[in-house]
Amino acid sequence: MTPPKARRAAGTRVPLVDGIEKVTGRALFTADLAAGDALVGRILRSAASHGVITRLDISRALALPGVEAVITGEDCRHPYGVLPIAMNEFPLARGKVRYRGEPIAAVAARDAATAEKALALIAVEIEPLPAYYTAEAARDAGAVLLHEGKPGNIEREVHHAFGDPAAGFAAADLVCEERFHCAEVNHAQMEPHAALAEYDDARGQLTLHTVSQVPYYTHLHLARCLEMDASRIRVVKPFVGGGFGSRTEALNFELIAALLARAARGRVRMALSREETFITHRGRPETDIRLKLGLRKDGRITACACEVVMRGGAYAGYGIVTILYAGALLHGIYDIPAVSYDGYRVYANLPPCGAMRGHGTVDVRHAFECLLDRMARRLSLDPFAVRRVNLLQAPTRTPNDLLVNSYGLEECLAKVEAASGWRQRKGRLPPGRGLGLACSHYVSGAAKPVHWTGEPHAVVALRLDFDGAVTALTGAPEIGQGSSTMVAIAVAEVLGIDIGRIRVVAGDSAITPKDNGAYSSRITFMVGNAAIDAARRLRDVLIQAAAGKLEARPEDVACEGEVFSVRGGAQSSLAFAEVAKAAIAIDGPITVKGTFTTPPEAQGGRHKGGAVGSTMGFSYAAQVVEASVDSDTGEIRVEKVWAAHDCGFAINPLAVEGQVQGSVWMGMGQALSEETRYVEGLPVHASLLEYRVPTIAESPDIEVAIVESNDPLGPFGAKEAGEGALSGFPPALVNAVADAIGIDLDELPLTPDRVLEALVERRRRARLAETRRAS
Amino acid sequence: MSEPMPDFVLLRPGSLDEAVADLERHAGSRFIAGGTDLIANLRRGLVESEVLVDITGVPELSRLQLGPDGLVIGAAVTLARLAAHVEIGRRYPAVAQAAEAVAGPGHRTAATVGGNLCLDTRCLYYNQSHWWRQANSFCLKYKGDTCHVAPQGARCRAAFAGDLAPALIVHGAEVEIAGPGGRRRIALEELYRNDGAAHLTLEPGELLVAVHLPAADVLSAYAKVRVRGSIDFPLAGVAMGLAPDGGGHARLRVAITGTDSGPILLSCLDEPWAVPPDSASLARLDKLVQKQVSPMRTTTASSHYRRLAAAALARRLFSQLAARSEE
Amino acid sequence: MKKIIRIDLNGRPREDAVADNLLLIDYLREEVGLTSPKKGCDGGECGACTVLVDGAPRQSCLTLTVTCDGRAVETVEGLAAGGRLSPLQRAFHEHLGAQCGYCTPGMIMAATALLRCNPRPTKAQIRAALAGNICRCTGYVKIIESVEAAAEATP
Repeated sequence: MTPPKARRAAGTRVPLVDGIEKVTGRALFTADLAAGDALVGRILRSAASHGVITRLDISRALALPGVEAVITGEDCRHPYGVLPIAMNEFPLARGKVRYRGEPIAAVAARDAATAEKALALIAVEIEPLPAYYTAEAARDAGAVLLHEGKPGNIEREVHHAFGDPAAGFAAADLVCEERFHCAEVNHAQMEPHAALAEYDDARGQLTLHTVSQVPYYTHLHLARCLEMDASRIRVVKPFVGGGFGSRTEALNFELIAALLARAARGRVRMALSREETFITHRGRPETDIRLKLGLRKDGRITACACEVVMRGGAYAGYGIVTILYAGALLHGIYDIPAVSYDGYRVYANLPPCGAMRGHGTVDVRHAFECLLDRMARRLSLDPFAVRRVNLLQAPTRTPNDLLVNSYGLEECLAKVEAASGWRQRKGRLPPGRGLGLACSHYVSGAAKPVHWTGEPHAVVALRLDFDGAVTALTGAPEIGQGSSTMVAIAVAEVLGIDIGRIRVVAGDSAITPKDNGAYSSRITFMVGNAAIDAARRLRDVLIQAAAGKLEARPEDVACEGEVFSVRGGAQSSLAFAEVAKAAIAIDGPITVKGTFTTPPEAQGGRHKGGAVGSTMGFSYAAQVVEASVDSDTGEIRVEKVWAAHDCGFAINPLAVEGQVQGSVWMGMGQALSEETRYVEGLPVHASLLEYRVPTIAESPDIEVAIVESNDPLGPFGAKEAGEGALSGFPPALVNAVADAIGIDLDELPLTPDRVLEALVERRRRARLAETRRAS
Repeated sequence: MSEPMPDFVLLRPGSLDEAVADLERHAGSRFIAGGTDLIANLRRGLVESEVLVDITGVPELSRLQLGPDGLVIGAAVTLARLAAHVEIGRRYPAVAQAAEAVAGPGHRTAATVGGNLCLDTRCLYYNQSHWWRQANSFCLKYKGDTCHVAPQGARCRAAFAGDLAPALIVHGAEVEIAGPGGRRRIALEELYRNDGAAHLTLEPGELLVAVHLPAADVLSAYAKVRVRGSIDFPLAGVAMGLAPDGGGHARLRVAITGTDSGPILLSCLDEPWAVPPDSASLARLDKLVQKQVSPMRTTTASSHYRRLAAAALARRLFSQLAARSEE
Repeated sequence: MKKIIRIDLNGRPREDAVADNLLLIDYLREEVGLTSPKKGCDGGECGACTVLVDGAPRQSCLTLTVTCDGRAVETVEGLAAGGRLSPLQRAFHEHLGAQCGYCTPGMIMAATALLRCNPRPTKAQIRAALAGNICRCTGYVKIIESVEAAAEATP
């Protein structure tokens, strides 16, 4: 008789381990934490776009009864910023303001009304400087500099060339160059920013509960800005209502809340409005792209030249990384022998941009996939054909020295081609309806983190105690993406135990090992591998104990379905709880640790900026979008999306589907309706009415096919699943619209006014042509 | 920035007379029903009022009577109730469609017919926080002296974006108004004037009691364009009533929202129109709409777009209703 | 000014003295301690604060507490009667209708109102009923699947 096949954890559809809290209302987000008598923190923000603070008088605010603290730029003299090489922002402005909404002062008071009153009592005078709201204006020769030592208001220029672009273009049968414009977008995560800071004056200790995706970086910045020993700080991440990159750096309100709590020697609750959350920004910058491609008649790409200008806002943030990513990720998806890239990250008097889902690649991928489609059309090639002829062969290294270790794009193409009925339906849809295709990819964790310390990239600790429960301790911030569930699955899979035996504790610096955070799609790959490593170490301990009890050699002991048995000898076996007890009896409760370090070969090229874009494994995605266009009103309706995503291996297929759907859909928002707008630097989009996140009414069905290319380095072969599909949507939609109405649109988002304008323009030209013919 | 809710006293009268008296007694007080517009504006510091008079407890305002002679809709009838009424949907389709098209379901269960008709006008420079408006020196509609949309002009160009008004207008609606001076009835279109800062012709202390519709004698429909499929206010909304004469012609009534400071009842439609319309008459209708609406840059979508979209909706509704008239 | 109000909150009668200007969301979160209605926007734009008032979905951030006097108010905390998840709660959990979970209480309340009056909704009806609730994580696909699964699971 064969034993029943043990239930595997990895590869099965597992609901989120913290899902029950979410559906019952028990999940406590930062703003939900019982704050008792906490003071209310409020921020005074600059009304001016650019200027020198000539007067800042807080005396009347301080004198208001009920006000416990008022702080200004004087209270923190250390600049902060996520990149150690580009820290140029202060929690509260010092000397100068550079965008409307920049924090100038902050108040802690007994209630909101008092805090508001106090803000109104702060006297601010600002001597205005010229302000720039476009990259072009900021780069003008006569423009005043936002930051000293940055001529032309350029934060970073990148000039990279790999292969021989000139020869590549010379060898092409068709060379096309086009310009694309992508509006600035924002993450608009559902939870507005919030922090709860508590300063224990007697002990000189600070505890911050915050909405962060990177509690570790926030911890470092708190120590720096407050001049505190990091050991006296604790950062806790409660339930977090989404991130998408908006919280991948320490943010001003977190530092301000902490500064206020210390100044008031108490607890300060800071809940930002939606408007303030938009102003805190860190979104994807407004981007202008000039792209040139060379193609042979058969569709083979011979060369690519790309110029990118990003309007980065008033401070550095992640800017250097963003502009480097944009160039680096021209590589790694197709076989392109020669690529030149010129990138310009420009300061402007607007809220600072940052990292947003698909960081750096989205707008460039948009331009690339649109232009490739248009050139294929001119060469009478099918959109699938032109992509297939340019596929990579893994393993390989790209011209800019990125490692491509696994590559499922070919299978992704096959899946969406079949699922969408492309061959039968393309070109045969009713007027105004079309199909469009695009491909995309993304990193599974940056192989070199922004704070390069040499320590492991990820650490997971496991505890096993008398109760037989396994507690996984991880600093990886669970923000809704399912990272804690992934850790639980990985541990359960390796130990062969039920997932119900595992508890995951995530994101508390007092308890959990340091983790770089939830960004660049690093968690599954890095933390997943660390969890596997930890679980193997725990398994070794348990197997030793089991072997002792079973009087067998450890290498003959297996653990499946919570039972330890001797291979080949079915008669003797031990339950997990017995083995746990035996193991603890030897040396007391068990704690083990697993780590993951990226291999050197994945860490990118030696050229300047070569670390950005480097990763252990790229995810790949292809998607077909079916859309119809109302030629009277310019309204676009997305009818259906078929997406295929190569995530290496789906540790949790349920979560992979959810991530892919969410990515595709977020790409749809950027493509259809989302954009920031400023009037002289004032955000007119700073609400969920004017910033148009799609509603369920116009959101289509998104059918997901999972492709498993089994990455050699990935945990169980897995790669990322939460970002890669995003950047495919906008170009797939633009290509579908071109198929539907025969117009190539170059500007995102495709709002009804932009679409109708293009339609009207075409009618006008047709009339003109007709008139000319007639006369 | 998020402002704390301002302090106010809420009165909850049980009769219309009491409501009118409450308002008269407290200078600067306002009526509130569903609150979906007013409370959002209170929270943004766009309204100052020490006393609010909640009229949802006045039974007369919640009546909904459909008879052979017409329809009476109390001002406090919710949009959800109106939209769900099957027979109203059959006889006055534009009205039900417009009610269903307002905001989201959670708004419509509270929002009322009177509130939607008296909806405050909207503008990019107005529907912002106090911090924002102060940083922008306020505007002509509220606390400022310049209209940022049309700085040379003398009036506020904020746009009316109520969905119901045009639908009711094409059905020949009258509104019943109560106030300190008693009751009066006017054509619904006369409730509005083209001034974004004072777009209602209600006298101080007056409130809407009910909308009266004659027996339905037209085919009707309402359509709006907006960027998203829900929540958004109309960039342009068009209602049409079409009365076929049985001899290949029809009378048209067209009303438009979202483009001007009040709903626009299209004029110069007096002649009967041939049905089904040919391309020339669709072009003529298109031109009439484009000429008579005057959207300004009060939304992120261009004003030109709102003009074109209004005209496009009118053409489309004409074709659709004409086709239906021949069924 | 304060008024005494009587509210049936999640099936339990309550009596409270509340200020006239107190929003229902603040009453629930600050005075009662039910934190499931979330603030996602600055007033009436996102649906994260949706609760049921006399069975109908309402945005608690646009509702004055005193106008709920004599009415029944329900939040997601009240759905798991006796600790047992409601079919919608179970379905949202099992079908990943919730990712970050911030919109989830409002979403489930709007869906609860729908299923009570329409136990077998079509996809279009689900879309219409949830059209005032913004979710930023799921793309709504699994939310629709969750509501469908809950409808199927309800006899």
